Amino acid sequence: MKRLRATFLILPAATLIFLFVVLPYVTVLVMSFRAPADGQPYGEGFSLAGYAQFFNEGYYAWSLPQSLVLGILTTFVCLILGYPVALHIAKASKRWRGLLYGIVLSPLLIGIVIRSYGWTILLGNSGVINSTLRQFGLIERPLPLMYNNFGVVLALAHVFLPFMVLPLLSALQSMDPALGQAARSLGAKPFTIFRRITFPVSMPGVQTGCILVFVLAISSYVTPALVGGMRVKTTTLLVIDALIDQFQWPFGSAMALILAVSAGLIVLIFARLTAMKWN
Amino acid sequence: MRIDALLLSLFRSLVYAFLLAPIVIVVLASLNAGNFLTFPPQGLSLRWFWTFLDNDVFIDAIVYSATLAAGATAVSLVVGTMAALYFVRHARQKAELVRLGVLLPLILPEILTAIALLFFFYEIGIGTEHQIALFTGHVLMTLPFVFLNVSTSLQGRDNAMELAARTLGASRYTAFRRITLPLIAPGVAAGGVFAFIISFDTFGISFILKGAGSAPLPIQLYDYLRFNFTPEAAAVSTVSIILTLVLVTLADLLFARNPDA
Repeated sequence: MKRLRATFLILPAATLIFLFVVLPYVTVLVMSFRAPADGQPYGEGFSLAGYAQFFNEGYYAWSLPQSLVLGILTTFVCLILGYPVALHIAKASKRWRGLLYGIVLSPLLIGIVIRSYGWTILLGNSGVINSTLRQFGLIERPLPLMYNNFGVVLALAHVFLPFMVLPLLSALQSMDPALGQAARSLGAKPFTIFRRITFPVSMPGVQTGCILVFVLAISSYVTPALVGGMRVKTTTLLVIDALIDQFQWPFGSAMALILAVSAGLIVLIFARLTAMKWN
Repeated sequence: MRIDALLLSLFRSLVYAFLLAPIVIVVLASLNAGNFLTFPPQGLSLRWFWTFLDNDVFIDAIVYSATLAAGATAVSLVVGTMAALYFVRHARQKAELVRLGVLLPLILPEILTAIALLFFFYEIGIGTEHQIALFTGHVLMTLPFVFLNVSTSLQGRDNAMELAARTLGASRYTAFRRITLPLIAPGVAAGGVFAFIISFDTFGISFILKGAGSAPLPIQLYDYLRFNFTPEAAAVSTVSIILTLVLVTLADLLFARNPDA
């Protein structure tokens, strides 16, 4: 009776997740194998046409490596930018920590549309950076900062940096400060301490952060759409195009699943590589 | 200070500036007096804020988003708090499974979840009508944030006080209302604020699942930005940023939390 009453607590959440997450994902899987049709989202019967179309048409097939490279670059940039910041916050005094924490979290509180929009103001051909450089006579025609991979990676790195810093921070904060002190008293240089102690200890955070940023980056829509101006074709953009604008549900689902499986494989390889090296 | 330490702190400052830059730039752009988003601005003015206040589309969108966020937050608060109570107090060996399950909407790519929901609601014959799909999506997106905040405030607290209250004859419900709820109030409040902000700002779910008629603010803004480049969008964004800051500050003042939380 007591167990039963306790189970009642989880019932609403469990129902919600099962009905509106698990079942819908099964629907996507089934949808990707349905037959295509004209004038309606999908036809009768099942086929592999969606998968075949993706790999046969270069326009679609090439978006996959493009997306994955974009995701890997964004992850790398986030790690490089995020690590010193996480280290800094972990060592900061309590008063400073709140403020720095706020700065890191601030992008999360501002919607993704506004943040991407901010980047278009900064990076555009007549944007802040190009206008300033031109005023000082440093350039004659605007630098191509937007509508290309550079701009998209920069904006994505900004959007997802908090997701890198937070796991790093929690890994670094769980580190025993005595470890570093012991190494220093035994004569280790700061860089040696970092390489032999701090970085290995923070490895779980690095793993979590990289996986989060990578998955978020390759499935993002707004930032590539606004900053890339539809000129950077990622698979996610093409998925939405197929589903919403062209009304081709089986094809769109097949693309989404191909992207998800490829991303899953990369995550798996990454987890395997980092685990072997550090554990 | 050694040169490499100096370089490192310079690099860190640049990263902090990088984090704040787009937000600061949007606020500055909204004060631009010119007709286009040019830099340097052609003088300062609040004219774009007046333009925005006269524009029903954006006002409607803000009201719509706030209503949607309030509704989704209310449902998430109830469901998420119950799930957190179960997770911390009763789940035992199933704890990891429960946590993974409730956090699924956060872990899975939002845009894929949105597509999945779209198909699902079409299959059961509702589609995007009556905003049921949209509302469900927003509840899903906000649920993990309530769950995380409430379960954090529950962890490390035993249920001795509740047991004492029960021994003294309080009903299960009274014990919850008079003892447990006040104890976890800061967590519930933080979860609610987070949930509201997430719902107010979420894009993928709203983009895919919005029906005909009014659209949430991020969608309206995105549609506008695809074809327009006036500072009005910056004014709208600035108002949205200010609303968020007010909300966070209010929550902070109302529920003075312990500094470790």
